[in-house]
Amino acid sequence: MPGEISRRTVIATAAIVPVAALTAAAQTPPTPSALSDAQLRLLAAIVDRIIPKDELGPSASECDVPVYINRALADYLAGEKPAFIEGLEATDALARRTHNAAFIDLTPEQRDAVLTSMDNGTAEGFPNARAFFNRARRLAMEGMFGDPYYGGNKNFAGWDLIKYPGPRMATTAADQRMGVEISPYHHSAYGAGGEHGH
Amino acid sequence: MAINLKPVDVAVVGLGAAGGVAVLPLARAGLKVAGIEAGTWMDPSKDFKPDEIHNNVRSLVTTVPKAKKEIPTFRTSPDAKARQAAAHPMMNAVGGTSIHYHAQSWRLKPWDFKTRSETIKRYGATLLPKGSTLEDWPVGYDELEPYYDIVEHEVGVSGKAGNIQGKLDPAGNVYEGPRQREYPMPTLRTCDFLDHMHKAARSLGWKPFHAPSAINSQPYHGRPACAYHGYCDRGGCQVRAKNSTCFTTIPEAQKTKNLTVFDGAQVTRIVADNNGKVTGVTYIRDGKEYFQPAKVVLVSSYTYENTRLLLLSKSKAYPNGLSNNHGQVGKHYFGHWDAQAGVGVTALFPFDVNTWYGAMLSQGVVVDEWADDTFDHSGLGFIGGASLCTFMEKHPIAAASMSTFGRAPAWGSAWKKFVHENAGRWTTSYLQTNSFPYENTYLDLDPEVKDPLGDPVCRVTSGPKDNETRAAIYAQNKMEEWFRAAGAVEVIKGQPFGPALSTHTYGGTRMGDNPETNVVDRWGFSHEAPNLGMLGGSVFGTSGARNPTLTMQALAWRTAEHLAKNWKSIAGA
Repeated sequence: MPGEISRRTVIATAAIVPVAALTAAAQTPPTPSALSDAQLRLLAAIVDRIIPKDELGPSASECDVPVYINRALADYLAGEKPAFIEGLEATDALARRTHNAAFIDLTPEQRDAVLTSMDNGTAEGFPNARAFFNRARRLAMEGMFGDPYYGGNKNFAGWDLIKYPGPRMATTAADQRMGVEISPYHHSAYGAGGEHGH
Repeated sequence: MAINLKPVDVAVVGLGAAGGVAVLPLARAGLKVAGIEAGTWMDPSKDFKPDEIHNNVRSLVTTVPKAKKEIPTFRTSPDAKARQAAAHPMMNAVGGTSIHYHAQSWRLKPWDFKTRSETIKRYGATLLPKGSTLEDWPVGYDELEPYYDIVEHEVGVSGKAGNIQGKLDPAGNVYEGPRQREYPMPTLRTCDFLDHMHKAARSLGWKPFHAPSAINSQPYHGRPACAYHGYCDRGGCQVRAKNSTCFTTIPEAQKTKNLTVFDGAQVTRIVADNNGKVTGVTYIRDGKEYFQPAKVVLVSSYTYENTRLLLLSKSKAYPNGLSNNHGQVGKHYFGHWDAQAGVGVTALFPFDVNTWYGAMLSQGVVVDEWADDTFDHSGLGFIGGASLCTFMEKHPIAAASMSTFGRAPAWGSAWKKFVHENAGRWTTSYLQTNSFPYENTYLDLDPEVKDPLGDPVCRVTSGPKDNETRAAIYAQNKMEEWFRAAGAVEVIKGQPFGPALSTHTYGGTRMGDNPETNVVDRWGFSHEAPNLGMLGGSVFGTSGARNPTLTMQALAWRTAEHLAKNWKSIAGA
């Protein structure tokens, strides 16, 4: 995995930003970005079909799942950024071939048809479709259900969806009881405000 | 040129689960010990977090630069080309894998030490696994018992005895070998799900018990009790309730002033003179090469690295690698048939099991009816079996990534509804199958893939095994029976495909009386280089159906004590 190297690269790059930017950074830490605005919109459209908004709660993008993926691709997963962007572009090209429109301009049903063909390996002219779809789905899971510290799981909506009661530093026997609702503990492992960190 | 250091009595290569224990009896005996560790000290407050992305997704506790660049290659047949694996199971840090392990701390069964002779006696030689190189260990359970006892108390193990000097107690494991006294601490806390599984096992007529673990159930030796926060797996313990050697035996040894820890020091060769005695080790630290002279060298890195280091250390006396003039280094290797080998069983319940928090396998309930030779194997076509363990601790990403058991699609609103209802209702189990060495399972040096120093990485060859496949499937069916008795509505069994790279590996420098088929003698010292000792899973001849660490530690203590008691004859001072 390229993690450690990319982390160092990010730090090294951060060290040569202009003084004005450093002043701004004192208030809000610089957020590394791997994807363009257009790529982020496409990514949001994809992950929102994997985790859609419905009566059970917000969509992936409403939980900042694309923020998680974007940061990861700029940092820990920098080594896989080119392949991921290639997958995004191939998804859009597939939409244009099969539906004569950009993916983000398709109806939800059409988006599902495109993604289903990728998931079941029938997407023509996109040999890595299944691998890309599985990767996007996996990263969506990380962004939805991981610690908010990394940018996703906004308002702990992912943990609430599956009724995960949150990372407590210590638990009691009562927290391990069955048949009772354990009240959710809405805190990042990195403490109060940790969800704004990284 | 290497920088020559001041000579020491003993150089210990690797301060993990085994080496980290061996340093204590050595230092207490007054021997000057250099503990040479490729990794560094980890800081519990900075490096260990209740964070699934940190521990499990990105493996930031377990992924360390040295091991990452030495990932062994793997193949399933001696005729195949081996490919480098994607991830490694090793660890470099002071404390090694005892930092992030699940800490279940078992004694092997008396049967594990004499599987070959007991099998022949009970069933005849035809039931011995075909193609295996199985031998009885040169030591039995009774000889190891005092060392199990010492380590349980020095490191700190929580558990409930099932057999104290022949007196059975069904609150513990009645199938264990006799122990001289109770564990130093009671088992970790029970909880609703474990009670539920305990009751289900009893309803089948089985004898479930709470797992023994090197995690404090109460304050012990100045460290606190477990906080059950649920991030034990692949994470270190922030409160130091997990008895990793970096919190226990290593600091204890440092108090004697006889142990010096050299961290960030990567051992590259063990040096031998023309008479076949080892004279010390070379290591690289901060880009500089050092030679550490030592009267005795104990090698205690991971199974793969123990073999690799010997094979790389060629000399006039050992042209095929250190202690390899009988061609046995790397032989009799095998991996454990556990979850990493596809031996899994997962269940869905119609109610919340609330297994989110806890302490992984250490907060677990185990059934031992279907392991070892506890049941009659006549007509079954295999020996051994597996221990069955249900346990606590489930992380949110993994929970949401659950199997949908064919009941829902894998994404979209229907999937969301499914995980909303069921992420808290599924659990899995941990099965460990008795595993054995074979002619077609071994370690050697890869002919092509090299580490950054230009040294070949380890190559793992692990061929198919009918015996373990049958035993694993038999045990999986028992696990399904247990889950069904507990009310599971869906059960999925994995395909036992066999171990690839694994965190439970054995052999390569096997212990045995016969130098034609073993690398080290009954005390853990080389049959060829008299002042070279080997510690860790690499000396095991069978795996048992349970986690290996406590046995490694008992053997390490015994080897170190033997060295201290026989210092003059072994060191040749």
